[in-house]
Amino acid sequence: MKNNTYKYLMIAIFLAPALILFIGVLIAPIIMSVFYSFFDMKSISLKGAEFIFLGNYKELFTSGSINVWRALGNAMLLAALSVFLQLPLSLGLALMLGKGIKGERGFLSIYFMPVLISTVVIGQLWRKIYNPDYGILNAVLGLLGIGDKMPLGGWLGNEASALWCVFVPTLWQYVGYHMLLMYAGVRSVSPELREAAKLDGATDGQVDWYVVIPSIKPILKVSVIFAVTGSLKSFDLIYVLTKGGPYHATEVPSTLMISMLFERNRYGMGSTIAVLMISLCFAFAILISAAFKEREYGKKHVIKK
Amino acid sequence: MKLKKLAATLLAAAMVVSCAACGSGSGDSGNNGGNKDTGKKVESVDLKSQKVTLDMWCIATESDSNRKSYENAIAEMKQEYPDITLNWEAFENQSYKTKIKAAMAADEVPDIFFTWSCAFLGDFVDSGKVYCLDDAYQDYKSELPEVMLANSTYNGKHYGVPLTMNIVGLFCNMDLLKEAGWNEVPTTYDDLIKCCDALKAKGIIPFGCAGGETWCVTEYLEPVIEKSIGADAMNDIFLGRASWDNAEVAKAVDTFQSMVKAGYFDPNAVSLSNDEVKANFMQGKYAFYQNGTWNCADFANDANFFPKVKVTEFPVVDSSKGKLGQLIGGPSDTLAVTAKSANAAVAAKYTFELGKRICHYGYLDGCGLPAWTPYGDTSNINGLTKAVSEICANANAYVLFGDTAMNADDAQKYLDYVAQVYGCKVDGNAFISGLKKEIR
Repeated sequence: MKNNTYKYLMIAIFLAPALILFIGVLIAPIIMSVFYSFFDMKSISLKGAEFIFLGNYKELFTSGSINVWRALGNAMLLAALSVFLQLPLSLGLALMLGKGIKGERGFLSIYFMPVLISTVVIGQLWRKIYNPDYGILNAVLGLLGIGDKMPLGGWLGNEASALWCVFVPTLWQYVGYHMLLMYAGVRSVSPELREAAKLDGATDGQVDWYVVIPSIKPILKVSVIFAVTGSLKSFDLIYVLTKGGPYHATEVPSTLMISMLFERNRYGMGSTIAVLMISLCFAFAILISAAFKEREYGKKHVIKK
Repeated sequence: MKLKKLAATLLAAAMVVSCAACGSGSGDSGNNGGNKDTGKKVESVDLKSQKVTLDMWCIATESDSNRKSYENAIAEMKQEYPDITLNWEAFENQSYKTKIKAAMAADEVPDIFFTWSCAFLGDFVDSGKVYCLDDAYQDYKSELPEVMLANSTYNGKHYGVPLTMNIVGLFCNMDLLKEAGWNEVPTTYDDLIKCCDALKAKGIIPFGCAGGETWCVTEYLEPVIEKSIGADAMNDIFLGRASWDNAEVAKAVDTFQSMVKAGYFDPNAVSLSNDEVKANFMQGKYAFYQNGTWNCADFANDANFFPKVKVTEFPVVDSSKGKLGQLIGGPSDTLAVTAKSANAAVAAKYTFELGKRICHYGYLDGCGLPAWTPYGDTSNINGLTKAVSEICANANAYVLFGDTAMNADDAQKYLDYVAQVYGCKVDGNAFISGLKKEIR
């Protein structure tokens, strides 16, 4: 009994710092955000704020001027592109490099480099690329004889092109990050498994498809969760490139939240969008985990049978 | 000397209209601020005997016209008060608006901060985040006319130290105008349109306007509205005394949009920042650039460009209501002290001293007209700033910049619609009906 008390005390002592940090940095701000989202705050403090309970949530989903649906739609599109374009590209690179090709380390560094560079720097770099007067994109198109293809208003100034122009660097930046995660997984696949498959006459593609990819499924799950939640809360690059414009064409929930909080001084509404983002990220993380779990369970079930 | 008098007396008189209007509008919602009511006379702080460190945030970045005046003023303060250390940081204009609000919300603020007057500062005052400067002001009454404090006065209390005052000016590249056969700046709206057509025919883009920063679009739209409906009607709308539902505003917006649709504006500038557009103007890409008169400093400092540029006011669109001398602008650039400052009283006195010097050097550099009574030799003011002084000397009404006059929520809605007007997404009627629904 005494031993047990001592054991629990030690557990509590060792857990306490992390727990306090976790509550202070993560849980408390979430609770505060939920609390603030019930108020109509016209200024920074709660003084004079009106308690409107779910009023902000109702306005968020019905107000035409806030237009949260467009922001959510853009975030979902980015999430879909991340999963169906960015991750396959990362996987392809990881599989290619995982085979131990010549200059593997050099390629790894090059692909990973955008992750290391500050997003603001990348944003400024791409602003220069898209610049309508001296941008390299126009110069390249000019060399190809299609220099007149720039949309009216410039690449970042045209509603139709701005969203795609913002997505390209956003997706490009994290290809290396996901590639590195997957590469670590690919390298950890036992060489015996590969050799056994090869002995059975499997081609390189078949080895990757039937042996390597199923082996790195846990990593793929993590990558999908990171890609989807990262897309839902994407902010920095979009803010540097367009600040959500032109005419809200590149608005995502986080730029909308910043606009509400610090441009319109609507702290209650900003907190409401923050709560929405947190809820969506949690929901997607749980859904993706469940989707992967079901498949794993199904597989086990088949084997047992 | 003549110029000095001109600036000091005429400015103060002319600005009573806009200042008093804005100050009282914001004042109704103010509270007592960060410090206690000080009915009795408090002892003045002696800065020379103070040994403190103060932090300051401002927007005088390396590319900002005011940078030099800040550097000169701070260097002079350092010499005069060697025991007071000032750590100052400068942030880009647009991002600073976000940063200062976030910092205020988190109470992680410097002692002294740059702010725009009226509603922008008013929001902080309402939250009790700003130190009242009434006590410190007592020592500067003779140098800083009280009328200049009107835009930063809430509930009868002063919360800001004004620096310079600026208006929106129409800058013209005379070399390009001459290429199109115009030796003088067009003085009527019809002439301006003819001039734009002539410029276009020569392959010169008439106007450069940074769509990436919507406040730059307001620098074009607001003078068009003012010269169409008159300053009084516009002040009434901006200060909440009248509805946006005004057919004349719709007509003025359509006038501005017709200029956009006629191809007078650089279409590529929709995504550009103000710095990029200004650089284009200085490199001779545009014939006109309508923006704040703080730009006089940068234009005057460019030896190649300076001889080419002239400044004037936007011509009258509807002479039955709009008049020459009705201007957009006023004293907006302000320094304030945070209520959280551990050395608020010292910071307050220091802010007045610093503000006076920034105003002085800013005026000498051409960053704007002085909010303080000018001192020293001001005979070497550049020609552009002199021209601005003349325009202001003939002014009869001022309307403060829309996004400064309105509270943050309304200002953002207004800017949203302005951006849509520039992008031809909404016309004049949709503009007024939208703002009527969203604001009043």
